[in-house]
Amino acid sequence: MSGAPRTALAAGCWLCHDCALLCRVPATTGHGARCPRCGAALHPRKPRSLERTWALVIAASLCYLPANLLPIMTVTSLGKAQSDTIMSGVTYLLHHGMWPLAAIIFIASVFVPVLKLGILVLLLVSVGRGSRWRPVERTRLYRITEAIGRWSMVDIFVVTILVALVRLGSLATIEAQAGAVFFGAVVVLTMLAAESFDPRLIWDRSEETRR
Amino acid sequence: MSEQPRPGDVAEAVIETRRRPSIVWLIPLVAALVGGFVAWRTYSERGPAITITLASAEGLEAGKTKVRYKNVEIGLVEEVRLAEDLSSVTAHARMVHGADRYLREGTRFWVVKARVSGGQVSGLGTLFSGAYIGMDPVLAGPSARDFRALDVPPVVTSEEPGRHFVLRSYRAGVVDVGSPVYFRKVQVGEVVESALDPSGDFATVRVFVHAPWDERVRAGTRFWNASGIDLSLSAEGVRMDTESVVSMLIGGLAFDTPVDGDAEPAAAEAVFPLYESFAATREEMYTLRTQYLLYFDQSVRGLVPGSPVEFRGIKIGQVRDVKLEVDSSGQHFRIPVVIEVEPERIGNIPGDAAARRAAMDALVARGLRAQLARGSLLTGQLLVALDIHEGAAPARIVWQEPYPEFPTIPTPLEEITERLTQLVKRIEKIPFDQIGADLRGSLAAAQAALTQAEKTMASTQALVGPDSAVNQELRRALVELTEASRSLGLAADQIEREPNSLLFGKGRK
Repeated sequence: MSGAPRTALAAGCWLCHDCALLCRVPATTGHGARCPRCGAALHPRKPRSLERTWALVIAASLCYLPANLLPIMTVTSLGKAQSDTIMSGVTYLLHHGMWPLAAIIFIASVFVPVLKLGILVLLLVSVGRGSRWRPVERTRLYRITEAIGRWSMVDIFVVTILVALVRLGSLATIEAQAGAVFFGAVVVLTMLAAESFDPRLIWDRSEETRR
Repeated sequence: MSEQPRPGDVAEAVIETRRRPSIVWLIPLVAALVGGFVAWRTYSERGPAITITLASAEGLEAGKTKVRYKNVEIGLVEEVRLAEDLSSVTAHARMVHGADRYLREGTRFWVVKARVSGGQVSGLGTLFSGAYIGMDPVLAGPSARDFRALDVPPVVTSEEPGRHFVLRSYRAGVVDVGSPVYFRKVQVGEVVESALDPSGDFATVRVFVHAPWDERVRAGTRFWNASGIDLSLSAEGVRMDTESVVSMLIGGLAFDTPVDGDAEPAAAEAVFPLYESFAATREEMYTLRTQYLLYFDQSVRGLVPGSPVEFRGIKIGQVRDVKLEVDSSGQHFRIPVVIEVEPERIGNIPGDAAARRAAMDALVARGLRAQLARGSLLTGQLLVALDIHEGAAPARIVWQEPYPEFPTIPTPLEEITERLTQLVKRIEKIPFDQIGADLRGSLAAAQAALTQAEKTMASTQALVGPDSAVNQELRRALVELTEASRSLGLAADQIEREPNSLLFGKGRK
């Protein structure tokens, strides 16, 4: 042990997740540590953060394909049924000159999930390899991921509202399709993945190698 | 901590952290399973891809136009593309899983859109939903993937029970695809195809007759064109005939089996002639025809080709041709009328031509003659009447080419006219002027005689009048005569009583 401990972990202190009490944990003990105040299990970092995040990112990637290939909703208007995938909806809007709307849908539904998955994979790979490359920027990327995660739900909300509102019998009916389920799963899974990733891991490696 | 061993004395225990794989891995596993299942199902439910060649892509939209059978969606047009030579349009369609069974060489496709034909409006729903591709599946035959769409929807789908028949007509008339086919005024079928034969000689009309009425089509069945109104003005009067208002407007066919004997129902695709009208079917029933030439001297106004030839009011044929001929000297006009007699209309006629000829000769010898008769007073139509005229001048059939000449006699009306003319001519010959002059002379003489008679009468009056001398004398004479007769009577009585008094005079008392 040399130099001033710059992190709580290095100082042998863990922070309780629930009541935020800083506890000193004996160095030999790994498991079974509990908060003396509220009794919550103590972990130095989010437990098995990389593994969980990997699992969720992989699951989200698996769901991303059907979410884009399957139709997300079917509009039945005067007996004429039309199923649309996300991309066909975007191209439809583009063809009809509504490019701002097309841009919103494209960014929220196609670009953002890909961006999130890409950032998470980048973080996971870099943390897994113990990279010391630009920790500040990587942390910023992580914050962006967390911030934009929920905006992808715009599509799901639109479909949900339309399905509930447009029930005009034979005149017009809108039904959600399998694609919407997968798309919802992508959004939820990426949010969970971002949640389970512990950004402190980015800094742990830089600290260790600095010592 | 004195017992604490120094490093190096005791081997350090390897602390193995047996970490079970996190439960979080279930999430990608489930995602993979679900995704895999969806992918597998989507792939396995992909039906066969087919191509349909169409004349035009009107109403077709890639990714939207459906293929339907009985209004069940069985496919989707994925791509519409021009053919390489620009002559047609190729639609690539993805059928549903299991559609392979219906994709045979005989399977037909067509574009369903709103259309008005065959007296009916169809496909109105497509006005809102857009056109779709209809299909008529066939379960037998070699499998196929490339099809050519029909230009018009088939009238009858292949699963419809019934039979197709082929009609041959030298004029198709206004029979359109979808026109009704009637049997005893009930619609039992439709025209499915109406086309000119490649040879151009005749038109071929394919009809479909629904079961169970297809059984009514037998070997002797006659089909005729029941289009429009059959309005005929003939020796039989005005006659209007039509099958229905629909057939009046769009045309139609009708059939009937004249002799509903034991004939077997006709096989599918059997060929029948198509007659122009119902009347024509009855004409055509008699295949045997004998033509005769008749010469008339009188007016044949009202006699036209088609006018009936009757024997005692029963039609046995019709007039074929009416002409005008002038004989070589240019003096004399005569009208040759060619008639066509259908001997089969007459029961138990000899089938042999020579025997028939002999029979005709015998009949003519007995007085069979042709004459013009008035068929209808209303229309002034004439007909040729054959009958046996016992007192007719002897004649015979001149068997010659091209037509044998049949003897004629003038019409009864004509005969009367002729006799009247003769009578008038005779009356004209009577010298009425002379008779008048004679009569006037006779009258003058009579007048004189009468005057004389008057004078005689007057003198007679004077002679025998009541105051005349003659009268006085006469009266006196009569008194005396009475006196005399009384005396005579007394005398007679006296004599009777005393006959001897005659000799001895009055007795003594």
